[in-house]
Amino acid sequence: MSPELTHQNNSEEFVLAEQFEQLVGVQPIGQESSWMQNRRQAMQAFAQLGFPKKRSESYKYTPISKWIESRLRFETNGPSIKSIHNGAAVGAEAPPSAANLELKHSAGQGVGRLSASWNGESGIQVQTSNGRLSGTIKGVVPEGLTICSLQDAMVQHPALLNTYLTKAVVLDRDPFAALASAFAEDGIFIHARAELTGGEVIAIHHDALDTNGFVQPRVLIVAEKGASIQVVEHFPFLDSGRTFENRIAEIFVAEKARVDHVLVMERSEEALFVNSLFVHQSEKSYFRTNTVTLGGGLVRHNLNFLPNAEECETHLHGLYVAKGKAHVDNHTLVDHAKPNCFSNEMFKGIVTDQATGVFNGKVLVRQDAQKTNAYQSSKCIVLDRGARTYAKPELEIYADDVKCSHGATTGELDEDAIFYLRARGISRDAAKMLLLEAFARDVVDLIAVEDVRNYLYTRLNRLLTVLN
Amino acid sequence: MLDIQNLHVSIEEDGTEILKGLSLKVGKGEVHAIMGPNGSGKSTLASVLAGKDGYEVTAGSVAFDGIDLLELEADQRAREGLFLAFQYPVELPGVSMSNFLKQAVMSVREHQGKEALSSGALLQLMKEKAALVHLDPSLKSRSVNEGFSGGEKKRNEIFQLAMLDPKFAILDETDSGLDIDALRIVADGVNSLRSSDRSFLVITHYQRLLDYIVPDFVHVLMNGRIVMTGGKELALELEEKGYDWIKDESVQLA
Ligand SMILES: Nc1ncnc2c1ncn2[C@@H]1O[C@H](COP(=O)(O)OP(=O)(O)O)[C@@H](O)[C@H]1O
Ligand SMILES: [Mg+2]
Repeated sequence: MSPELTHQNNSEEFVLAEQFEQLVGVQPIGQESSWMQNRRQAMQAFAQLGFPKKRSESYKYTPISKWIESRLRFETNGPSIKSIHNGAAVGAEAPPSAANLELKHSAGQGVGRLSASWNGESGIQVQTSNGRLSGTIKGVVPEGLTICSLQDAMVQHPALLNTYLTKAVVLDRDPFAALASAFAEDGIFIHARAELTGGEVIAIHHDALDTNGFVQPRVLIVAEKGASIQVVEHFPFLDSGRTFENRIAEIFVAEKARVDHVLVMERSEEALFVNSLFVHQSEKSYFRTNTVTLGGGLVRHNLNFLPNAEECETHLHGLYVAKGKAHVDNHTLVDHAKPNCFSNEMFKGIVTDQATGVFNGKVLVRQDAQKTNAYQSSKCIVLDRGARTYAKPELEIYADDVKCSHGATTGELDEDAIFYLRARGISRDAAKMLLLEAFARDVVDLIAVEDVRNYLYTRLNRLLTVLN
Repeated sequence: MLDIQNLHVSIEEDGTEILKGLSLKVGKGEVHAIMGPNGSGKSTLASVLAGKDGYEVTAGSVAFDGIDLLELEADQRAREGLFLAFQYPVELPGVSMSNFLKQAVMSVREHQGKEALSSGALLQLMKEKAALVHLDPSLKSRSVNEGFSGGEKKRNEIFQLAMLDPKFAILDETDSGLDIDALRIVADGVNSLRSSDRSFLVITHYQRLLDYIVPDFVHVLMNGRIVMTGGKELALELEEKGYDWIKDESVQLA
């Protein structure tokens, strides 16, 4: 079965579809796992959607096609993708088993390595290399918590994967999520059983990428009824050239469960980073995420929240600092379908030089979702005339008994505040620094894991000093 | 200490002249009051002395302890020992009082060649000075002026004055919006900071404050100029008769 392609045969889409065929086509038809069936569906969805075109409404301010083209330059005759991981590479080696993970991690020539990270002392630490688990798990994994590769999970927990994997993804609207789902050969699986209520901290260090690599890292997190976990993902600075990470995470928060999630993005200015997050919440569950973008060349976060049950609580916080020619785009959707839910969204950004910050926040309150409380705010400070920001809140409300509000502000630092500080002997630069740090720390303060908070305070301090 | 000669100041944006040849001398350790109707230019004078952007000095000079004040940036003036207690203190969400005061005290002390304070000593100093104006020491972890009541904001200004130990302090309508108890606390705080090497310029619209902070001189500012100077009794006279009679006189003068 070949995906119906409307693309030219040298387009990125065409070549990726070919790649996909070569990769999965050899498997005996009819005996396919439901995972494999999902992947085929995902590939079809991707083939139909294609990468966003220049005129695409949801990428209006984000020149992503240009970035994709320059990273996936395919030859007409036969695919020649430089370095594709998570199964996308033609003739990819068999997924490494747990035994040779460590070897592979240290073997990579030209594999960029992390430059800075927090001293992960609390909780459980895992590392990835090109999106795959690598090295050994540090820390004590308690009873009730599973952390393993998706490949291992397929063998050990097939029922769970059948239930959850790709199930939160909305394929037909999101080409990046579809593509990542098609090539989902491996990834990380985190599962917390009901008895795990202690808010265990799991840190995922995405520490290594091949030079100019195209990687589609995948994370699946499931917190069962009443469980409570915290997951921190770090994408540190890597000197890996023109990488393209098309990352996807699915998070399922069962009844009364709590998941606290943090993502810290610090890749280099050459990195193209697309992050698709899909969060599925059940009754009385709690989910919080904090998306912190301090690096990257073009960064697009597609954050999707589907509290599809009553009395869910959802917090979406985000912070970005964009300098140079960086382009950071936070695109969020909160889709309230059931009554009595609460969501609060707060994004803050600082842009300078020729950088661009984009925020698009859609809140949808469906007809059934009475008594929804949904709040949204986005604030951006522009430090340089060359920098650009676009903010677009979109509220679509179909229920009548709801409380919703949104506010978006963009501006320079408050001159009255600067003068007040200067009138106390503080220099202009130090005054600006104080105000910028205060502005940004507000978001970091909301991160529960102390190590991470402190790490970010330090990083922000350094970053903002350079901007000033 | 402060010598203002024939100061002319316009709003940079539209060129409107606000101060029109203001002259004023304040000696060391003296307390001068400036009174005047709303809109007469009192805050403009305070802002220009403190170095706020947006004003253009078109003529005149200001000598501060022998140096040309107008040559200095706002933060340099503060480090030289000039302090402005704002009529409308600015809220700084997320900037903690302790961090703010630490940076302010550090930069001022460093410039004045005073030894650096340890964090313990700084805390002790904060505790002491906060007590002067009855501020709760727990304020150090709060954001500057954020969520402060009107009275707390004004007391906070005097607290900062005490922390920075300036040679010259301008109080811009520190009494406005205060009830009588708060006014007394603020005035007591200021009085305890009076000394032979600190001068004050107390700007007020009402005479009430001057019952508590008794000035050596009272000036009347109208239409961008000092139109009358007297002793502390002048304040009482103004309270009684208002400003209109002076207006009449200055019309006559003109
Ligand atoms: N930054 C400014 N921009 C425009 N007008 C100003 C500015 N500052 C002061 N003014 C004007 O100057 C005049 C004097 O104001 P101000 O100094 O605040 O008076 P006072 O403090 O005596 O009430 C007023 O008419 C006021 O509107
Ligand atoms: Mg005034």
